[in-house]
Amino acid sequence: MHINLRHYLFHNPLFVSGLLLALIFGAVGLFGPLIAPYDPWDMSFSPISSPSAAHILGVNDGGQDIFSELLFAVRNTMVFGLLSGMAALVMGVLAGAAAGWFGGIIDSLLMRFADILLAIPAVMILILAAALFRPSPATLAIILSGLMWPTIAKAIRAQTLSLKNSLHIKAARQMGGGNFYILIRHLLPELYPLYLIGFTAKARMAMFMEASLAFLGLFDPSRKSLGMMISYSIKFYYMDIWWNWIFPPIICLSCLIMTATFLAISLERALDPRLRETLSGRKA
Amino acid sequence: MNTNTFSNRPRKQTGIVVTFCLAALLMTYISYELPRLLPGDFVTAMYGSSNVSLTEKQETELKAYYTEKQGFLPYLIRILRLDWGYSYAFLTPVSALFFSALPWTLLLMGTAHIISTILGFTGGVEAAWRHGSRFEKGMVGGMTLLEGIPEICSGVILLVIFALHLQWFPASGAETAYTEMAFFERLVDVGHHLFLPLLTLILAYVPGNFFLTRNSMIMVIKEQFIMTARAKGIPPLKIRYKHAARNALLPVVTRFGLRIAFMITGVLVVERINSYPGLGTLLFNAIQARDLPVIQAVVLASSLIVLAVILGMEYVYRIIDPRIE
Repeated sequence: MHINLRHYLFHNPLFVSGLLLALIFGAVGLFGPLIAPYDPWDMSFSPISSPSAAHILGVNDGGQDIFSELLFAVRNTMVFGLLSGMAALVMGVLAGAAAGWFGGIIDSLLMRFADILLAIPAVMILILAAALFRPSPATLAIILSGLMWPTIAKAIRAQTLSLKNSLHIKAARQMGGGNFYILIRHLLPELYPLYLIGFTAKARMAMFMEASLAFLGLFDPSRKSLGMMISYSIKFYYMDIWWNWIFPPIICLSCLIMTATFLAISLERALDPRLRETLSGRKA
Repeated sequence: MNTNTFSNRPRKQTGIVVTFCLAALLMTYISYELPRLLPGDFVTAMYGSSNVSLTEKQETELKAYYTEKQGFLPYLIRILRLDWGYSYAFLTPVSALFFSALPWTLLLMGTAHIISTILGFTGGVEAAWRHGSRFEKGMVGGMTLLEGIPEICSGVILLVIFALHLQWFPASGAETAYTEMAFFERLVDVGHHLFLPLLTLILAYVPGNFFLTRNSMIMVIKEQFIMTARAKGIPPLKIRYKHAARNALLPVVTRFGLRIAFMITGVLVVERINSYPGLGTLLFNAIQARDLPVIQAVVLASSLIVLAVILGMEYVYRIIDPRIE
């Protein structure tokens, strides 16, 4: 089944284009500071100049090179998304597996808490925290993941419940395997497709959230981010800066979100058994 | 009917009410406790970096407001009595600010939510019905692409093209100021101002509804009662909407309430892009001015409204799906 899956994924244009974009963004994120021709905080260039050989995308109102700014901004948004998605995944998997495996009071308490978190708009808590404490981006990413884990936990729990009664788990139990052993050795590795879906979906949401919060001015103004670049640049809409200043961060942000969307949707289609047979055109 | 097609059906009635009351209490408690966790002289620090100057008396009042041990219960009663404090940045009571901005946000968000649900739903039903056709593949591809464009991007692009370049729509505001208009003229004016932010939100939220409907509709179409309906010779349009879509509607309705909690982020951003005078713009201005009472009130009150709407949707769900209880 896993070999089929890989075959299916690599012949799916959506997944392949998502993966390619992800590789490009990964390279930009890793090597961005090396590619950047100038220090993005250097304010010594002549403000609002058009693109030239020295400044590919021109210079912003503060005299900073826009291309260098963009590279750092993409990196910041990505790091925020990956960190938050990763933390949400860990919390969701732990909570979901515990709820599904142990059941009873642990299950109902965890799921009730998950329902409460799902109903609260995450952005409101982030805004309150950001406005009051001015926390670091990493702290905000962790707070966000603390609000995003319930959907992952619910999917993991449902799958754990259905695996709980499968033969090999029963066999492991018969042999005297403890809760912890079965969870780590049998259950968690088997749920791995769900991790991919959950992680990409949450990373997407976190990057969107980061851009929105930055756009609303909730991050430290000296931190480079796509949302903040958009918010600064549209103040100068009446000038001839659309192509070199307003659109680049917009395009980068759209591509970032699209990358995560493509990966999440194609993985979901490939791994959701109910949709799979219908989507791939094969009647199983 | 297999039960796991609609796995996220609500639980018992009392359980839901308790969950929502707990969520509301938790939210209120966070908004009560957070400012109290701040170190000593944050009032001076916060207003020091804003452009609002406080008199000696106002400053001591604010400090007292945030540091006194008034207890959670009195705070709760004050919230319920709409006594939300006084905004020093806008020189108005906070509740007055909130309730003058709320109608615009409700108008924008409500219309966007309803239109995008209807569009996404019909699109999803039609696409699933023509499963495997070129029409469906095109729809799915287009919607996937659209899903990848966040509101910030589509909003700014629409604004730049239609308001600033072509000047077909106003770039800011919710109605033309200082003019006397007849009712109908005013309606057109409000609609004209509403168009761009509305379009941005609809573009962002149609894909979610589309995929949800399509995926559940594909499952429903395979059910035997659809085969029976076809065998009886019922016209396809009637099978699609009266027999199949009614079942595909259920997950859309369950998410209708929950989706609002996600939409809030988009609404804040879109209002700021189009300078639409709703809660998002109020919140943005409050953040810029470091106006803590306003930030706190907008955050708390809008979260509570979202909770109330989600709770309300649970009851609608029961009407649509009589199988529950």
